[in-house]
Amino acid sequence: MSETAASPVPAKASGLAGGLLGRLDGVLLTLVAGAVILWFLPVGMGRYGTYVLTLWLVTAIAVMGLNLTLGIAGLKSLAQGAFMGIGAYITAILGTKLGIDWYTCFALSGLACFALGLVLGFPALRVKAHYLAFVTLAFSTLVWLVLRNEQWLTGGTFGISNIARPTLFGLRTDGALAFHRFVVVVTLILALALWWLVRSPWGRAFLALRENPIRAASLGIDIRAYTLLAFAIGSAYGGFAGALYAPLVEFIDPTPFALSASFMLLLMVVAGGSGYQLGPFLGALLAVALPEWLRFTGGLYLIVFGIVVLLLLIVCPTGILGLLDRGWTALKARFGASDGSRP
Amino acid sequence: MTTMSRARVLALGAALALTAAMPGSAQERVKLINVVELSGAGATAGTQWRNGIDLAVADINARGGILGRQIDIVHYDTQTNPGNTRAAVQRAIDEGTYSVLGPVFSGPIGASMQIAQRAEIAQIVGGEAAGLTRQGNQFLFRTSLSQAAAMPKLATYLKDTVKASRIAVVWVNNDFGKGGRDAMLPELQRRGIQVALDVSTEQGQADFTADAIRIRNANVDAVFVYLNEDESARFLLAARQQNVNKPMIGETTLLGARVIQLAGEAANGARGHVGLSIDAPVPAFQDFGRRYQARFNIASDHNGLKGYMAVHMIKWATERMGRFDRKGVADTLRGATITPQMEPGILITTKIEANGDLDRESFLAEVENGQQVIKATLPMINP
Repeated sequence: MSETAASPVPAKASGLAGGLLGRLDGVLLTLVAGAVILWFLPVGMGRYGTYVLTLWLVTAIAVMGLNLTLGIAGLKSLAQGAFMGIGAYITAILGTKLGIDWYTCFALSGLACFALGLVLGFPALRVKAHYLAFVTLAFSTLVWLVLRNEQWLTGGTFGISNIARPTLFGLRTDGALAFHRFVVVVTLILALALWWLVRSPWGRAFLALRENPIRAASLGIDIRAYTLLAFAIGSAYGGFAGALYAPLVEFIDPTPFALSASFMLLLMVVAGGSGYQLGPFLGALLAVALPEWLRFTGGLYLIVFGIVVLLLLIVCPTGILGLLDRGWTALKARFGASDGSRP
Repeated sequence: MTTMSRARVLALGAALALTAAMPGSAQERVKLINVVELSGAGATAGTQWRNGIDLAVADINARGGILGRQIDIVHYDTQTNPGNTRAAVQRAIDEGTYSVLGPVFSGPIGASMQIAQRAEIAQIVGGEAAGLTRQGNQFLFRTSLSQAAAMPKLATYLKDTVKASRIAVVWVNNDFGKGGRDAMLPELQRRGIQVALDVSTEQGQADFTADAIRIRNANVDAVFVYLNEDESARFLLAARQQNVNKPMIGETTLLGARVIQLAGEAANGARGHVGLSIDAPVPAFQDFGRRYQARFNIASDHNGLKGYMAVHMIKWATERMGRFDRKGVADTLRGATITPQMEPGILITTKIEANGDLDRESFLAEVENGQQVIKATLPMINP
């Protein structure tokens, strides 16, 4: 992996390749190329394969948000599953009960989670590390209880069914392939927005916050504002993911947004490579697609999955991309001299 | 190639094609995919359902299969998660399942039933929540009575046999428990029975001591217990420890074999209504129970029976049509009455309503000395 969000200064093409090319990097190229591949990939794959691919992307959006909160700003949150639930329920309730179109629901889901993220972020200013995890854990449980017990609004344990899928320029996305392509586009837009954010002065401020808050403050970074912002943007991505999850499954109940979902999302950030911009995609792939691939092992598939994840984290505690990064650095160190001598 | 040999080749080809199309062809098999809770909160019920299906498939294959075709059965776990269930049902359909079997929990059924409906494939489920068959889905079929059918029978039992006027209701706050409670409360009210205490409990709850103490102090005539199997057993144990000496009344789960096994002596005295039971005075049920025990080394509860019947519903419909027709299975099942004379594997006369609900005889039972004893047989609602 040539470029990661963890490195504070993006790689710049030197000399001749300056200008526009200077703004291109491995992450951006991978995102765009990945979107093109994913656009065509499900052709002839069947609806099941397409569904799993789409679920992967939707999950990756939530993981991207948590990656910003945890991997880039260094705030341990156990509430991403709850934010996903809030987004999904806002979309489902407004869509099915009030007939509001999906785009408005999507925007409101993000906004609501952004606002809630700001409110929940306040404790983040006072508590750090695992104490913040406890605060978000309590929030997660609270949201789940509201989703389950306020039956008049959320449908309680019976959930909400028949959630409509969006239309784009009059084209319906009811089919598996059409909706998949719709999600590919939304994911690309959200990933590009985050790519830009991390490279903007804001992103540098987030990194400074994670690496050394006191030094960041001494450099004039408003720690309070940036902590809140990181939390709120990360939460908004959870809301966006939820807004896509509801029409994907076309049915929601509180189960997928319980505390265990937040733990799984956290696992995806860590397993993919915390702080790496492409990490969420690998982490989500591991958690969503790997159990499906392992189904050939029959009743053992979840045990095999658990062992694979355990081994992975023992071998590379910095995640898949952390391992690749280490390998890449080692390769560069070995062949670096000859590369550097080229004109 | 001469004209003569070409004609011979054509004839040979036609004969081969015809043989392949014949239902009795030895090479042909029929694929059935079961999508069920084998991990997560529904694993206890889902495992019983899967075992019942495995036993049915073994029986049918041993007797020559369906219309001469052997059944290939595949089980996909859903982790009791609606999103995963949907993926698994989609996969089952993509892989060409003849009908979809499962799931058992009502939430995952709600998440996946539209997929089978769109594909026009029958889905035979184990869920009991009343709402499932109220959505106009023509391809969804139950294997047990719905809560809407079972609760009036139980409310009448509470009034006429138990003679209760004040009761406590203990329910598990998931789609199953909440659905049952919501179906039961109006029936109790209609019969003048007051709900003095309404106790909501959690799925997977381990300690029921506080709930048992509340009930002990509530001065009620009886307790209606509507929990999943494992929780029912834990509740009965806690109630016994806290000396709750009131009749424990339940619907199917409370009197199930799994609960009796887990709760041991504390299950004695529990009574109520059961839809399906291997202890019912139906020889076919008892025979099934013995064979299930022999094969899986565990007693079957109602979910094992449901799984067994589900496969036989598909077999009956296919043999009645005389051909393999995915959509036809649903068309044939809808409105049908299947008797054990028509299909021995159905075990008991079963009437399938137009909306996928079932009607059949059910039983009043009591646990005595660690055994479920049937006290009375209740007739069908609309025979």
